[in-house]
Amino acid sequence: MRVLRLSAIWAALALGVGLFVLLGYFVELGFIQNLRLIFLRWAVLLAAAALIVGLVNLLAVHWRKVSLTEQGWIYSGVLILSFTVTFVLALVFRPDSPAALFIFNTFQLPLEASLMAVLAVSLLVAGFRMVNRRRDLLSLLFVGTALMVLLGTGPTPGGVEGPVVIALRDFRAWLSQVWAAGGARGILLGVALGATATGLRVLLAADRPYGA
Amino acid sequence: MTLSGLQGLVALAVFVALLVGFLAANQRWPAHFRRIPAYEALRQAIERAVEAGERVHVSLGTGSVIGPESAPALAGLAALTRIARATSISDRPVLVTAGDGAMAILARDSLRSTYQEVGASELYEPTSGRLLGATPLSYAAGLPAVLANEQVSVHVLSGAFGLEAGLAADFGERAKLFVIGGTDDVQAQALFYAIAQHPLIGEEVFASGAYLDVGPMHTASLRAQDFIRFGLILLILLGVIVRTLEGPL
Repeated sequence: MRVLRLSAIWAALALGVGLFVLLGYFVELGFIQNLRLIFLRWAVLLAAAALIVGLVNLLAVHWRKVSLTEQGWIYSGVLILSFTVTFVLALVFRPDSPAALFIFNTFQLPLEASLMAVLAVSLLVAGFRMVNRRRDLLSLLFVGTALMVLLGTGPTPGGVEGPVVIALRDFRAWLSQVWAAGGARGILLGVALGATATGLRVLLAADRPYGA
Repeated sequence: MTLSGLQGLVALAVFVALLVGFLAANQRWPAHFRRIPAYEALRQAIERAVEAGERVHVSLGTGSVIGPESAPALAGLAALTRIARATSISDRPVLVTAGDGAMAILARDSLRSTYQEVGASELYEPTSGRLLGATPLSYAAGLPAVLANEQVSVHVLSGAFGLEAGLAADFGERAKLFVIGGTDDVQAQALFYAIAQHPLIGEEVFASGAYLDVGPMHTASLRAQDFIRFGLILLILLGVIVRTLEGPL
């Protein structure tokens, strides 16, 4: 019974706060606008606190792996060590200090750039895999369009601008400005409706991501 | 109140009215949706994972709870409750990862309340809902270790993703897992289409609740969505006809 009462309180709180934030988008009354801003600021603060909770949780997961010497524990050890060093440096010397920026520019930036490079290779492999696995009209159209866009965007050998190259560029522009833009708008319309429905379900307490 | 504000409120009121109307009509006129093979395959994959004692991994993406990109992750959380129920008889309960601290907390809350509902509170572990990385690419970089070390066989991607969607799906494909991916970003959808075995296109990611039988409200909201979509298509067609006729006059 107590659990039920508690869940009703959470739902009522979520409904009340959600309604005020939503109304703030449509109604230009000072009271509602101010309340909406206060709620949004609280949400930002809570999200920052949640990040700290999340990081503690992340450390707990990897600490357990190191203590139990589970598979890949050495990577967990590296994570804990680098997390501690970065955290202490940023805390003592500020996040925009040369020491913190050195770590960012020397380790994080190149690693993330490498991951993007891996993505380029993955996409190429995925293109071949898709044609091999899903030999239907849509997949062939997808790969064919991607090839046409690549040919129409890339540089030509020796920088020659012949009629074929100009035709390819025009075709690429037609594909991206007419077909791709039209398709993307259709998809975005569906996504907007889906997002609205999801938001309304949370607002009406039918979905309770904060736990029942 | 401005005219656009009033229009927005009216549109929302119509949406809510349709939602409630379809919820009431669910018993008398049951919904018949088109087949989405990805969800049918997901059901089977979950059953296989439970039988084989393997784990289902749900990724809620890298979006924040307080941004507009939270919608697909909230849809993923709804699907998570159904997946958690289905896997509650397994030795290895579902594992959730997110790129946002608040989303990881919501995932843990959803898991805890679902396990309490099915009377399996002992399955809940505080580490079953994790923040994997605070930036999109660090989140993606953390995925291979999770997929390899936690004996995952089903990799569900439902949340906000950017370009890291390609990596997140590819790591699953390389490990020969069942990969299903859906998001709200058009470019990330294209990446899922190219890489994932079972891509979800357009708003299909928001239909997970209705297709996985989360509850009647999900079915009703999908029907309301479809109803409004057809209304919008009619309005667009009408607009095209009116503008075309206006041209020569």
